[in-house]
Amino acid sequence: MQPMQLFNLAFRQNEWFAQRQAVISSNVANANTPGYKARDVESFDAVMDSSASTSAPMAATDPQHFASSGSDAVRDQNNGDDQAEVLVSGNDVNLEQEFLKSNDVMRGYTLNTQIMKTFDRMLQSATKG
Amino acid sequence: MNDPLIAATSAAANGLFAQSTRMRVVSENIANADSTGKTAGADPYQRKTVSFESVSDEVSGADLVQVQDISRDEAPFRTEYMPGHPAADAKGYVKMPNVDMLTELSDMREASRSYTANTQVIKQVREIASMTIDLLRTS
Repeated sequence: MQPMQLFNLAFRQNEWFAQRQAVISSNVANANTPGYKARDVESFDAVMDSSASTSAPMAATDPQHFASSGSDAVRDQNNGDDQAEVLVSGNDVNLEQEFLKSNDVMRGYTLNTQIMKTFDRMLQSATKG
Repeated sequence: MNDPLIAATSAAANGLFAQSTRMRVVSENIANADSTGKTAGADPYQRKTVSFESVSDEVSGADLVQVQDISRDEAPFRTEYMPGHPAADAKGYVKMPNVDMLTELSDMREASRSYTANTQVIKQVREIASMTIDLLRTS
């Protein structure tokens, strides 16, 4: 089962990236909304730790496990103090910061899909010979 | 569970709509910068302002943005001395709209910047989604 775990891990992280992109997109859409506070998701490490509180991390022995831990593992949290200053309107969205995060998502997602592709090729060469 | 990428797209699309509404209001203000009243002493065009609010969408779980209200700016009108004008009062002063070109232009700039930001997000999401679909392609 070892190789399958890698697919699972990459998939979990892609899911996390997608969630993060949704939050970034909400921030950008509300860049001019008075009183809106920019949000971010928990770091992937924290999500992994919280979901791995039992024995082996990422051990999905049942397809149900994956779906249940997927969405509620991601919680919104306020941006840290490193954010730019709060505007008079009470809005603290910084577009540059959001694009930086968005680029992070892009880079990680590309890496993961590439790894998955490589892995798929590996499995295929093992099965097809 | 809902697809977060679809949620991202719908949030960005909502942002596009909100910013284009703002652009419409700005262009209305600029177009009516010299619209006076018709009768003596009548009020001229009153500048419009648009305000946004953030609404949380239960279906997708994203924070969407929507136009809360398009209201009128209560700032005082400027007056100009034009005795021959149909809207001139007894002293010959005409009330002009409370539209300030500089404010409108900077508002327009900000709207277009936010619009671009939202289109950028949509582009990014599409690229991400197509990467996942590419996994299915036989290499």
